[in-house]
Amino acid sequence: MKIYSLGVFFILATMTLSGCVSQKIDDGGIIPPSKYQWVDDGELVIVTYDVYGLTDAMLEEFERQTGYEVSLLKLDDAGSVLDHLLQHKGLQVADIAIGIDNTYLQTALDNNVLWEHNAVLTNISDSALLPYDGAYAAPFDQGYICLNYDSSIIDGENYTVPQNLWELTNEEWSGKIAIPSPETSSPGRAFMTATTDYFTHDDDNETEWTDWWTAMSSNEVIITTGWSEAYETHYTGGYGEWTDGYVGDAHAVVSYCHSPGVEAWSAGNWTKSVSLDLPRASFHQVEYAAAIEGGNLDAASAFIQYLMSPEVNSKMPTENYMYSTLKGMDLPEDDGYRYHSIIPDQPANVSAAEIAENMENWLAQWNTAMVDA
Amino acid sequence: MKLRLSSSCAVIAYTLLVVVPLWLAIDRLIWVAGFDPLGWINSLNGNYISQGVVAFTFLQALLSTVVTLVIGLPIAWQLGRYKWPLQSLIKATLTMPFVMPSIVAAMGFLHLIGPSGLNIRIDDTTWFATLIIAHAWFNLALVIRFCEPVLSTLDPNLEEQMRLLPAGHSKIGRFRNLWVPLLAPSIAAAACMTFVFSFTSFALVRWITLGDNTLESVMANIGSSAGIPNYMLARNEIILGASLIQFTVLIASLWLMSWLQHRRQNLLPQASEFTVKRVNNSGWMIISPAVIFALSPLIAVFWASFRIRHTDSTGTSYSWETSGWEFAFAGSSSMSSAWDALWNSLGYAMITLCIALPLGWALAQTILDVEKERPKTARFLDVLTMIPFAASSVMIGLGVMLGMIRIDAEFFYSFWPTPVIAHVMITTPFVVRIMLPALRSLNPIYDECAQTLGIPAWRRFMSIRLPLLRGSILVAVIFTLAMSLGEFGASWVVTRNSDWTTLPIMIDSLRSIPYNNTYTAPAACAVSSVLMGITLLLFTWAEKFRPARDGGMF
Repeated sequence: MKIYSLGVFFILATMTLSGCVSQKIDDGGIIPPSKYQWVDDGELVIVTYDVYGLTDAMLEEFERQTGYEVSLLKLDDAGSVLDHLLQHKGLQVADIAIGIDNTYLQTALDNNVLWEHNAVLTNISDSALLPYDGAYAAPFDQGYICLNYDSSIIDGENYTVPQNLWELTNEEWSGKIAIPSPETSSPGRAFMTATTDYFTHDDDNETEWTDWWTAMSSNEVIITTGWSEAYETHYTGGYGEWTDGYVGDAHAVVSYCHSPGVEAWSAGNWTKSVSLDLPRASFHQVEYAAAIEGGNLDAASAFIQYLMSPEVNSKMPTENYMYSTLKGMDLPEDDGYRYHSIIPDQPANVSAAEIAENMENWLAQWNTAMVDA
Repeated sequence: MKLRLSSSCAVIAYTLLVVVPLWLAIDRLIWVAGFDPLGWINSLNGNYISQGVVAFTFLQALLSTVVTLVIGLPIAWQLGRYKWPLQSLIKATLTMPFVMPSIVAAMGFLHLIGPSGLNIRIDDTTWFATLIIAHAWFNLALVIRFCEPVLSTLDPNLEEQMRLLPAGHSKIGRFRNLWVPLLAPSIAAAACMTFVFSFTSFALVRWITLGDNTLESVMANIGSSAGIPNYMLARNEIILGASLIQFTVLIASLWLMSWLQHRRQNLLPQASEFTVKRVNNSGWMIISPAVIFALSPLIAVFWASFRIRHTDSTGTSYSWETSGWEFAFAGSSSMSSAWDALWNSLGYAMITLCIALPLGWALAQTILDVEKERPKTARFLDVLTMIPFAASSVMIGLGVMLGMIRIDAEFFYSFWPTPVIAHVMITTPFVVRIMLPALRSLNPIYDECAQTLGIPAWRRFMSIRLPLLRGSILVAVIFTLAMSLGEFGASWVVTRNSDWTTLPIMIDSLRSIPYNNTYTAPAACAVSSVLMGITLLLFTWAEKFRPARDGGMF
């Protein structure tokens, strides 16, 4: 009997215990750093996803310069970084979040999980400050999301360079386009956001952006969990064909407008991948570093200062495959990196506020559009 | 009834370590999503991300089971009925895939079918076949372990007698009237476990399939945003729905399994393996391909770790170098080095062992003690210890995270052994499964005799119980170590601190590095080779101590 009652006791105990946990999360307002009990413990905990710019050498140099001890909490993608902040609100687990982009930033701001950093930042390019210009987040890299296509299949007969997004719903593109899912990938989310703008401004008033996605879904578009699967496994135009998971069934993919540049740069100025520059079909993505509410604000600010210094930030193209956010910086000319990278003439124009207000709704509409097909 | 102190401690510890985190996870998800089981299940097909997942999970698990049996039964027959030179080595080779970390298998199969191997993945229909074959590779050991002992020890007189009877004149008659009824429970038990393991497959699905997900992998993909109020509500519903289905299916399978195992314990005239087995040269036609099949993914991984690609405008060439190994062990680009991952993996495995082995043993002993007087309570405990088998790694991961948040988030995130919690949750049920039959088969008479002689308890334990249980303890030790070393799902889901990187996580991170670094894939294979090497060592060691004719899955 003893065992049985023990079991019952523990189930009852855990039930009450779990009740407490459920009440732990509250979406109450922000507590300013001045009123918060925090100490500079000499440590900096970075929560990030695989941001490749954070090299060992770079982190060690920061430790040497400032004396802070750095540790990393690595998650799967940009969305997971935001998820982590929301899950751990007010728990002082990490000090700085790196890698939240402008499609996620406003959600973080609305949920009061960030603090204003006290780094003094000058010389940031105007384009990087376009989506957000404030002290809650520092833009450390940027790039444009675009469709890339494999130029070797364009023969003018079976395949021509698409002149608008509707052409991608034609039969020749059936099952030949890979897009990372907006639900689980930030490039996917950015591209979906671009399509909302693209179809609002196209000549056609009959159809909406969701209709295009339904048509794409009917046209066997390949939706992947993350960018890597879309680009490496499916896309025929990139380095994926050398990887072992390669399938190569997609001639177009959603990636960065400078992906062909990276291809050329890492393969001795050779690539067959080309970015498609359609008005409003690309999206300007900016990635941020932000101090986390309740974390070590001084350490976070020091890191932001360091990350935004010309020595570190200028290495973004080669270490992190993204553009620097500082004025006057560009991609290196070596091996066709700059030559094969385009900056779109007219990227989608969606403000951060619009994104925050509509994102959950868009995702729900996107979901319905895809399921209905 | 007098209950030992160790029993109460074990039950309390198990509840705290295993049941509480799972309870926390479920409670939080329901708190966010509301209590609506039907709605949860409907949400699976109502969302694009999880559409068709239930059907796919069942389809692949059923097909995997069938293919595993088709491949495994002839092998088990050959091994069971005939003599082979180097028999134990062959058997060890064929059963070794079962303890291999699934991520190593995933890397192996990708290389086998990828551009540097057979180059058949280019056809996008082959990935499904690959997944099924990989599951068969993985679960082959189950068929062999369950069926081979029945075949190898059955008294040949039985078949001789059968020949004389009208029902056994022909081969077909003997097959229908002797072998089928004899083997059916074992085959069914093997099928059951294969189904369970294929149903919950994660690493193989993550790396091999295209577009489709199992319940387990879809939960892992969206797990990070679960449990946050007023945020991504649908994801909580999907996870609850997926967990509910998975839990029901797995509990049913495990129940069926335990019922079948009960039926397997029928008494048949037995004979020594030496009198049963004969030589069969044509059997090499089955045994040789089987051995090649079992080894090829592992050889592919090792081989690929030395193959470095060079691509430029003039084309692509390959060279044989150790740069992949150097890249992995140097730990560049914010990646912990393979040395760190190796020490973490070994450290976690050792701590897991120190907790899971005594805990699982004490639980098994408790079940046995209680069983005599209170069979229902014993049954309840028995099921309780199986729960982690049926829970998804997302549930385990989420539960551990919520537990950490509840108690002291800052402490746990900077506490190096934190990941051990998930490892203990996963390995303890295996220890119970291994120790329970061993304890059952222990004849109490030895202990009672020693007691009458006035030998103190600790000496009785040291000189009677320990030597008698030695084989099973060692199998449990090695299994716990292998499971912990290869653990991927829960660690992948639980927030990952770079100081906690284990070998399987490192393989996954290396393979996930984007763009054109030619060292990442060989480096992932190098780390896989290290993990494979350790597992092989452990397994070879375990084989020495395995109790003969156990017929269990381990």
